[in-house]
Amino acid sequence: MPRLPMPWSKKRGQRTLGSPFAGVAGEVAFSTAAFLSGVFGLSLVLISRFAPQQVPDQVPAEALSSNLSSWVMGIVSVAAIVIGATRLIFRVMHLNASDEMRSVIATKAAALERLAPGQGGESGLPNVPRGKSITDSPGEYLSYRLPILAGQDGILGPALLALFWNTAWIILLAVVVSGFWIDRPRWIIAGLLIPFALIGRWSFQYFVSQMRQRLGVGPTVVEISDHPLKPGHAYEVFVSQGGRLKLKRLSVELVCEEETFFRQGTDVRVERHQAFGQVISKQRDVEVDPQSPWEQQFSIQITGNVMHSFAGTHNAIRWKFVVKGDSRPWPSFCRSYPVVVHPPDSIPNPSQR
Amino acid sequence: MYRAGGELKATWRISRVSVDELRRLEISVLWHTEGKGDEDLHVHHFERITDVPLKEIGVENEQSIQCVLPASPLSYHGQLIRLSWCVRMRLFLEDGREVLSESPFYVVTELQTAPCVATPSEGETQPEEIQEKKVIARASRASQTRSTLASLRR
Repeated sequence: MPRLPMPWSKKRGQRTLGSPFAGVAGEVAFSTAAFLSGVFGLSLVLISRFAPQQVPDQVPAEALSSNLSSWVMGIVSVAAIVIGATRLIFRVMHLNASDEMRSVIATKAAALERLAPGQGGESGLPNVPRGKSITDSPGEYLSYRLPILAGQDGILGPALLALFWNTAWIILLAVVVSGFWIDRPRWIIAGLLIPFALIGRWSFQYFVSQMRQRLGVGPTVVEISDHPLKPGHAYEVFVSQGGRLKLKRLSVELVCEEETFFRQGTDVRVERHQAFGQVISKQRDVEVDPQSPWEQQFSIQITGNVMHSFAGTHNAIRWKFVVKGDSRPWPSFCRSYPVVVHPPDSIPNPSQR
Repeated sequence: MYRAGGELKATWRISRVSVDELRRLEISVLWHTEGKGDEDLHVHHFERITDVPLKEIGVENEQSIQCVLPASPLSYHGQLIRLSWCVRMRLFLEDGREVLSESPFYVVTELQTAPCVATPSEGETQPEEIQEKKVIARASRASQTRSTLASLRR
């Protein structure tokens, strides 16, 4: 029995299930249907607004009777028109264009954007991050103080969670109390107050523990003699750990990590793998005091045959210094300080092409 | 093996396909990623030859392509990411079919004798095995190219 053609195609690794032509035809049909239904809906809204007597009998009177339903239908219709038209134009423009041709068009568009004022020039090393923000801060002992990787040591999230949740709980409490005050008790909201209070207590405790960890562990400072790094070259690294704590272990490492983004169903997932690790220091039983922070300066040599920093759309290779500590009263900590590694002995040449 | 920032010179020709069967031809020097993540692709050099120039140049004769390679990215063979450079030719035939042929190459620096390879962690594949896999991968890629070219010689 002959199989009916599917109006879609599906990618399974290197294979594509279904005909690519059927997939394109299905997408074009869907976009056209979305566009036309949007036009139809918007027309109805405009007619009902400016010429109500022209609305067809089949359309229920309630559907467009109120201002709210007109607005909702108008917004949905405009959204359908925009989505349908955009997808349709995009698909038609990309018909008959290979992956390479699309990449060339995208590169030309990016080059035009860079010509705009304030966009900056080429670094001469395509797909190598510039890492300009890394050298923003001068160091006390060496040339640059490295910034901590954003989002690793944040206390803002737990603080906001605790603040907003407990504020909402106080408002609910006020509603319940006012209900009892005017002899109209709200039992359901009153019943919800207890579990909500437990969540509020947990969020506050979490915030306090994060705060204690932050204050107890103290700041970690990493400074470096030069940046960007190059394989085969030697550098000085200064590390300082403050706070009041007894550490079972304290280690400093230079790490190269592969990072890749991929779609699994409708989710976008990220996976990381340590491709290279160089232990700079590993010490046991370290005592840190606010008056005498742990301070060390190391000499490191970057191995010759390692991959440079790389940033693509879905894949990246990142380098960073990682300071890890197993402490006693406080939870263990791990802080990362990103750096950029250039290809070995590369000479940036903006006019290469 | 080509040096980053150096000049790439290559020759190509199409045999046993008449120029009348070709609608157009695209030849690109590009890098792309392979591995677990979605593919990144960037075309460094691109030429598109349509039907009239195709007849003028005569594709059955040896043609040359040359460009200056960029300083980065370098070829890389990692655990999650592989970054590969290649010269890719895409033929668009009159009957609507497309034929793709690739010739991979490595981009390295003067100091390197081989492309960068990720250092395996404990319990992972040893470097010798990776080298072996790389050879197999190259061999399979070469056989794929041969089969693509064979399909041209209908």
